[in-house]
Amino acid sequence: MASSSVRIKIALAILVASVVAVGCTPGGSVSQATAPPAPAVTGVPDTGPITLTVWDQESGQVSKVWDQLNAEFEQKYPNVTIKRVNRDFGELKTLLALAMSGPHGPDVVEANQGWPDMGHLVKGGLLLPLDNYAQAYGWTSRVSPNVLRVSSWSPDGKEFGTGSLYGYTTMGEIVGVYYNKQILSELGLTVPTTFGEFEQDLEAAKQAGQIPIQFANNDAFPGIHEFATIQDQIAPTSYLTDLIFGTQRDQLSFDTPENTQAATTLQDWANKGYFTPGFGGAGYDDSVSNFANGEGLFMITGNWIVANLGADNTNFGFFPLPPADPGDPPVATGGAGFPLAIAAGSEQPDAAAAYIDWMTSDHASDLLLPTGEIPLHNGKTPTVQPGTVLADVVDAARTVSDANGVVPYEDWATPTFYDTLTSSIQELMVNRLTPDQFVQNVEADYKDFQTSRP
Amino acid sequence: MEIRPEVVRGAVASVDARRRWTRGGRKQERLPGEARRIAYLYIAPAFILYAAFNLVPLVQGVNISFYNWDGITPGTWAGLSNYTDFFTDPLIRQGYVHVLQLMLFYAFLPIVLGLFLAALLSRIRIRGLTAFRLVLFLPLVITDVATAVAWTWVYDVNGPLSTFLRAVGLGSLVPAQGWLGSFNTALPAVGVFGLWGAFGFCLILFLAGVMKIPASLYEAARVDGANAIHEFFAVTLPGLRYELQVVLVLSLIDTLGTFDEIYVMTSGGPGTATSVPAYLVWRRMFQTSQVGSAAALGITLMLIIFAVTYAANKLMDRWGDDE
Amino acid sequence: MNTSSRTTVVVNYVLLTICALVAIYPLVGVFLASLYPTGPGSQPSGFSLPPTFAWHNYVTAWEQGKFASSFQTSFFVAALMVPASVVLSVVAGYAFATMRFRGSQIIFWLFILGLIIPTEATIVPLYYDVKAMGLLDTSWALIILETSGEVAFGIFWMRAAFIAAPKSLLEAARIDGANSWQTLWRVMVPFARPAILTLTVLCFADSWNEFFLALVFTINKTTAPAGLASFSGRYTQDIALVSAGAVIVAIPILIVFIFFQREFLRGMLTGAVKG
Repeated sequence: MASSSVRIKIALAILVASVVAVGCTPGGSVSQATAPPAPAVTGVPDTGPITLTVWDQESGQVSKVWDQLNAEFEQKYPNVTIKRVNRDFGELKTLLALAMSGPHGPDVVEANQGWPDMGHLVKGGLLLPLDNYAQAYGWTSRVSPNVLRVSSWSPDGKEFGTGSLYGYTTMGEIVGVYYNKQILSELGLTVPTTFGEFEQDLEAAKQAGQIPIQFANNDAFPGIHEFATIQDQIAPTSYLTDLIFGTQRDQLSFDTPENTQAATTLQDWANKGYFTPGFGGAGYDDSVSNFANGEGLFMITGNWIVANLGADNTNFGFFPLPPADPGDPPVATGGAGFPLAIAAGSEQPDAAAAYIDWMTSDHASDLLLPTGEIPLHNGKTPTVQPGTVLADVVDAARTVSDANGVVPYEDWATPTFYDTLTSSIQELMVNRLTPDQFVQNVEADYKDFQTSRP
Repeated sequence: MEIRPEVVRGAVASVDARRRWTRGGRKQERLPGEARRIAYLYIAPAFILYAAFNLVPLVQGVNISFYNWDGITPGTWAGLSNYTDFFTDPLIRQGYVHVLQLMLFYAFLPIVLGLFLAALLSRIRIRGLTAFRLVLFLPLVITDVATAVAWTWVYDVNGPLSTFLRAVGLGSLVPAQGWLGSFNTALPAVGVFGLWGAFGFCLILFLAGVMKIPASLYEAARVDGANAIHEFFAVTLPGLRYELQVVLVLSLIDTLGTFDEIYVMTSGGPGTATSVPAYLVWRRMFQTSQVGSAAALGITLMLIIFAVTYAANKLMDRWGDDE
Repeated sequence: MNTSSRTTVVVNYVLLTICALVAIYPLVGVFLASLYPTGPGSQPSGFSLPPTFAWHNYVTAWEQGKFASSFQTSFFVAALMVPASVVLSVVAGYAFATMRFRGSQIIFWLFILGLIIPTEATIVPLYYDVKAMGLLDTSWALIILETSGEVAFGIFWMRAAFIAAPKSLLEAARIDGANSWQTLWRVMVPFARPAILTLTVLCFADSWNEFFLALVFTINKTTAPAGLASFSGRYTQDIALVSAGAVIVAIPILIVFIFFQREFLRGMLTGAVKG
């Protein structure tokens, strides 16, 4: 073996190297991207050929509409070529930061709101503040303040829901209950108007051998919709909104009787067999097809499956999960859809802004409406065929929004909330966690984050 | 699972190198003549590359592990807290518990199966062994992402496994949430995948090893009145000691580094039922921005691998010395 | 040991066949699944043969999984990584095998260390290093990292191969006045050709099968396994397509394995079997 003197020399060398390395704090100072000045003229500058790289997570019909909109944009501005990179929701979550710090990053991205995604990007100085563009294009007056709020961050990424605008969209989302009209009438039921009625309907469906709620949770995210929808009816809306934005730091706790009650209800429903058998291992896309094929009385999910059901479909309807008391205003999870943002490293911010304006224009929302995307513009009443599932969805979104009952997505609440919530809900629904344990689990994450915030 | 070839050979190399250097002096008889400075020139390219991308990052990793860092803004000093998390963070503990459980499938079972079968099969001359070898090596050679995708289908509710069980009337065994979606069966399901990947290799390896055991030893044992079982423990097993050591060390190390199949088959789920340390490292680095913790996890994993390698080698050496 | 009664022989062949069947079972299964017609309503089922053989799935999977691009990247990376690894290992292994120099033990041990250091221990700092070099999402990152990871083993392997050379060979070269470089390429390399071929084959396999590095360091310029993982994650509903994708990715390495099985087996077994 090596002689001891040699060994000592090695050890010393390692020590020195380590000391040198230890001196360095990882991570450099982040320079926050400065907002580019308001363009003198809106639209794509005519400065020769421009390539815009766009990252999105759209699929199915919406994706096809995007193709069309992209082609039309290229026609409108012949010097622009759009390079579209399409990934799925889960991948985009993981890869966005990586993509945007790489050498040939995208110009325009679909950046999910909330602490895990947009917050992280803003903190890293990876997104451009859009305020000047918003003014030049008139974005701020086209949508309600709520829509702008969920994409707003303080430039250092430390405060959510205030500060500069980092993303923009004019399409909204809502999570609620789809129902199969045929099955409903076969069971002799009508659309429930209270929470209690809804639960009775579930039992009736179960007794009649139907799947009460079509559901599949192998992808993990659908569980959030089920839980949140129940939670929305029990916990106060202002509490939920404050919780998610984190405006009260660690003064708010997730461990409340209302949340525990919501968890208990969810677990009860699972134990009573109200969800599709084998939901833990089934895939979301499969469950959507199955529901569209007539399997299941209800399905609790968002407006995006209108594309799968067919906007003109009159056999399906939609309603927000009713509150406990018929007199109470409706509450539902949803709000602004996926916003578009501009990468700080983009060399074509003006062109990127023009692109965003195009993708959020009236024309775009007209094309997207049949896929179930709900337009959020002030004063715009979309024309829909009454009696169709699309009409129900648009109606529900309007009703909830008018009643100020929109709750943002819960997984936005901390950088790790998506992980914690999805896995805890998976465990809750198969009785591996009691409702108390569930709430405490989630609270541990929430508290951890809030106390560590500067 | 992939018994990553480089790890196979890594373990082999570590064992072999130790033998060469520690058993009686330097094997320098073959080296001609005087010391050569030009050697440094030969070594330099490889060493520079290796040092730059393996050794330096190691030190950097240790540095990062002492901070809480989100990967972008300056980190905050965390001292040893990322390391004490090993004892306090249930997620980390859970990851290691899972790989411990996987070791049963990735290491012990294939070895036992391989030994048993090799002992059985060694008694005859096998024709067409090459063809068998080819097939038995396939699980290991083919990209593990592809074989993991294949097994995801095997475990599908309509896949070969479930349909087979239903066909023989054992349909009730198929879990309600699917093999990979059920909290109780997800990890064993991944384990079986690993067992499938490893057993062919073990079998062929031990078979080759057994062929090398001199027939005279067996005859001597038989003369002493040993039956098949005695033969196994008295001749076969000791004769395979070297191979056993190698395979044991390599498969234990490999299990600790399991990642690919978890990513493809379960994403650590359902819940966190199949999370493993390597997956946690990746998750913390990219999904939850706990970079300091991820670095510490990597360093800890390395130390555990060192410890396991050392312990396994020591154990096998001791067994050898008892001979 | 050769008490081969007929029953023993039969039983043994049956056992071996069972093992072989178990080994091949999932592979055949996924191949069958890949031939089912795609789209909703046609579900691959168990082990039954598909109603029609939808070979077209392979074309669809190839296009939708963007395998043309990922295969190109994989081949490019391998084309550079394999020669680099082999050459570096041959050269360094030669030095370790035939020359004495100060610190040779330590340096050799440092390389051996690399065999046990898991990628996970260095992946975090490596990511930021590569990012700082501007090499994220490039094939170069993969080439460099895979090579640096491979040389540890390669050097060990080539050193062992060169040490096995008879001293007379080296003596003869020295007498002929050859310097070390000439000796290496004119004498040692031809001698160790089988070992070098084995190393080449193993390097290719490692490069082709590498997933973790591709996942971490690339997004657009990704390799075949990572492309497959992404494809299977997005098309979970279409089992036939995903299965076709898996078969597609498995084919190159399968071909290499069949043609170079001797080298593969030598590489995987020689080091492990005594004698």
